[in-house]
Amino acid sequence: MADTDILGTTLTPMEQETLRAYDVLKQLAARDDLPPCAARNVRKALACLWQATNDLDLQFEQLYDLGV
Amino acid sequence: MAYSEYWNPKNETLPREQLQALQLAKLQRMTQWAYARSPFHKKRFDAAGLHPDQLKTLDDLRRIPFMTREEWMESQVEQPLFGALPTTGQENAIRYHLTSGTSGRVPIRVLDSMKDWEWITEMWCYGFWGFGVRPEDVVYFAFGYGSFIGFWGAHYASEKLGALVIPGGAQTTEARVRQIVEMGVTTVCSTPTYALRLWQVAQELGIDLAQSKVNKIILSGEPSGSIPAVKRQLEEAWGAKCGDTAGMTEVGTIMIFECSHQPGGTHIIEDHFIEEVINPETGEPVPYGELGERVVTSFGRGFIPVLRYRTKDMVLKLPYSACACGRTGDIYQGGIRGRWDDMKLIRGTNVYPRAVEAIIREHDAIDEFQIYIWRNDIRDEISIKVEMKPGREDEWPALSETLAHELSSAHEGLRFIIELMTPGTLPRFELKAKRLKDERPVAVY
Repeated sequence: MADTDILGTTLTPMEQETLRAYDVLKQLAARDDLPPCAARNVRKALACLWQATNDLDLQFEQLYDLGV
Repeated sequence: MAYSEYWNPKNETLPREQLQALQLAKLQRMTQWAYARSPFHKKRFDAAGLHPDQLKTLDDLRRIPFMTREEWMESQVEQPLFGALPTTGQENAIRYHLTSGTSGRVPIRVLDSMKDWEWITEMWCYGFWGFGVRPEDVVYFAFGYGSFIGFWGAHYASEKLGALVIPGGAQTTEARVRQIVEMGVTTVCSTPTYALRLWQVAQELGIDLAQSKVNKIILSGEPSGSIPAVKRQLEEAWGAKCGDTAGMTEVGTIMIFECSHQPGGTHIIEDHFIEEVINPETGEPVPYGELGERVVTSFGRGFIPVLRYRTKDMVLKLPYSACACGRTGDIYQGGIRGRWDDMKLIRGTNVYPRAVEAIIREHDAIDEFQIYIWRNDIRDEISIKVEMKPGREDEWPALSETLAHELSSAHEGLRFIIELMTPGTLPRFELKAKRLKDERPVAVY
């Protein structure tokens, strides 16, 4: 996991936690053994976390290949 | 509860140098994405002899060719429904919208994925929060909820920020007025035209909206949201603050919003967009304080990337310091001032509908109006058809004379014919108002 944001600034503890949560959701979304209720809700949550991490400059990437 | 004044304190107050570094980083990634996945963009980059890896500074942005609506429409025609623009398949989309059709023959069609939609609502959150909407608010949407994107994103943004949302969908204006009062609505979202209409109908119903709980009106969809006379009328009528926003289907959301400090303009959301202002004829950038055409690059919707898109919107950019709110996003003074292609040429004089409206709206006895252009033999004529507010008809003789003089003075002596209309004969609008009627014959060769 990155320890700086897009601008190279060291992440705060809050930002580290947020980015960790985002990474966990990405890993979950990539799995193919989730039941529909989990698969779709994980994607919805990931979309929200993508936005939070994007706003905080923690990542800037696309998630279409995960269906998000 | 005490809230931050900013939706995103980190980026909204970022020093300009860092903001530009962020824009460059996002530009590099977005262009790489577009080049790799959108045949439309790859072709354009290749034709310009440019590869995204060559974008090393923010100034290199200008090496990217302008993107136009015409190219977009052509691509849709050649390859229905979405052209060669999308970077991924329709199976990844959760929403479809299209332009309202106010300009151009073919509507622009767009798709959004889950995260694109999240971003679209996020931009509205910047605007709503910036104008003072908070979780305690009751937000009303006077909006028809159709395929036109309109206030869709704003609706979801209001949910996201925790407000109580009331979708005032398909119902009469009278029913909407009653619902606003009954539900203790604090924030009304509408076009400027329709906000005036709601107030007029409330008057007819004997309801004084200035006595309601509404304290904020958020405007979008028409340039008049930043015309001082329109805002003044609305603020007095409703007893509420009016804030302007502007967006476009092509990017899916708003790019600019007026903050609660009401600086007479709208902040650009610069951590998610690059907004250039160019001379529409030469394509060269214009300095702060000079009127030009908006060119937008979006870092949001990756499904259909928008890079250096010529909007034809007329704007005047000022540095962020023109507002005391602390945001470092620059400002469009007067919001969107109209469209370059809205200009009408009448006997050699340029006439911009927004400028005409700004003069008309200085007269608060005027209820509704229409700009009517026609040809009298070989001579172009322009009329202003006017409906007076009930009870103000006595003011007509003096007003018509003053109005004719003011309009003429502002247009190199061009004669404007001022016509009084019977109340209720001019059209009323819910979404984008179409107050200009040009009936001059089109030349056929």
